[in-house]
Amino acid sequence: MSGNHKEWMKLMSVFGTIGIHMCASIFIGVGFGYYLDHKVFNDKTSPWLTLIFLAFGIVAGFKNLYQLSKRKDL
Amino acid sequence: MEHPILFISVILQALGLPVPHTLVGETLLAKLVSPHLTYTWLVMAFLIIMPKLTLGKLELVPNGKQNFWEVAVGGLETYMADQMGPERASMMFPMIATFAFYILVSNLMGLMPGFMSPTSNLNITLGMTLIVWVTHHILGLKYHGIKYIKHFTGPMVALIPLMLPIEIISNLARILSLSIRLFGNIMAKETLLAILFMLYGAFFGPLPILCLGVLVSVVQTMVFVLLSILYCQGAMEHAH
Repeated sequence: MSGNHKEWMKLMSVFGTIGIHMCASIFIGVGFGYYLDHKVFNDKTSPWLTLIFLAFGIVAGFKNLYQLSKRKDL
Repeated sequence: MEHPILFISVILQALGLPVPHTLVGETLLAKLVSPHLTYTWLVMAFLIIMPKLTLGKLELVPNGKQNFWEVAVGGLETYMADQMGPERASMMFPMIATFAFYILVSNLMGLMPGFMSPTSNLNITLGMTLIVWVTHHILGLKYHGIKYIKHFTGPMVALIPLMLPIEIISNLARILSLSIRLFGNIMAKETLLAILFMLYGAFFGPLPILCLGVLVSVVQTMVFVLLSILYCQGAMEHAH
C-alpha cells in the first residue's frame, strides 16, 4: 500500500464518523438533561434542563465538526 | 426476527440446552448458550487454534503460511508505528491487534450460512467500546496525571463552565458512536442477507449483498481500529 492510499483511507474513516458522532452528541445531551429533569429533580425543573443540555449536545456536535475542519495533521 | 439456522445453536439444542430464541435468554445458562456468545467462543477458538495449526515452528526464512501471518501482524504493527510512534505502538499493540482480528473474523464469519456475526449484537460491540474508552482515559491519566483535565477545559479559563459540559458530552458520544456504528452496519448486513435469502435465495439474490458484506466487514474493522488508535493517541498527546 502506498502512503497516499493509506492517508486517504484514514481521512475517509475519520471524516465518515462526523454524522454519527453529531447524532450521538445530541442524544447524549438530551438523555442527560432528561435524566436530570425527571429523575434527579423530580420534574421541578422540567423542561428547562432538557433544553439546556440539548443545546450543549448540539454545540458539542458542531464543535467536533469545527475541530475536524481545523486539524492540519490529518 | 427469528434467526436463520445456526449450526451451533442446533447442536446445543440437540444436547438439551435451553438455547434462547430471543437475543438474550432469561436464565444464566440460557445467557451462556445464546448465539452471539457461542459464536464469540467459536471466533476465539478459531483465533487460538488457527495460528497454532498454520505456524507451528517459526522459521527464519518464512514459508507460505508464516508469510501470511507476518504480513497481517507486521502490517498492522507498521501501521500503528506510523500513527503513534514505535514505543507507544508496541505498548498498545496487543489490545488493538486483538480487537482487529476478533472484529474482522467475526464480521466475515456472518457471511457464511449457518454462522452469525457476534458483532451484530449491541452487547458485544458496547463491551469492546467500553474497553477502548476506559483504556484511553487511563492512558491520559497515566501520561498527564491530574493535568489530564486540561483536555476538557478548552483553550481559555473564562470559558471553562461552557466548555466542560460540551467536552464531556462530546467524549461520552464516542461510546455511542463507536459501538452503534459497528453494531448497525453488521446487523444491517445480517438482516438484509436473511431477508434476501428468504425472498429469492434460489436465484442467488443475496450475492451482491455478500460482496458488499465483505467490503463492509473490512471497512468497519478498519474504522474501529483506526478510531481506537486515534482516541488513545489523542489522550496521550498534550492538550491543544
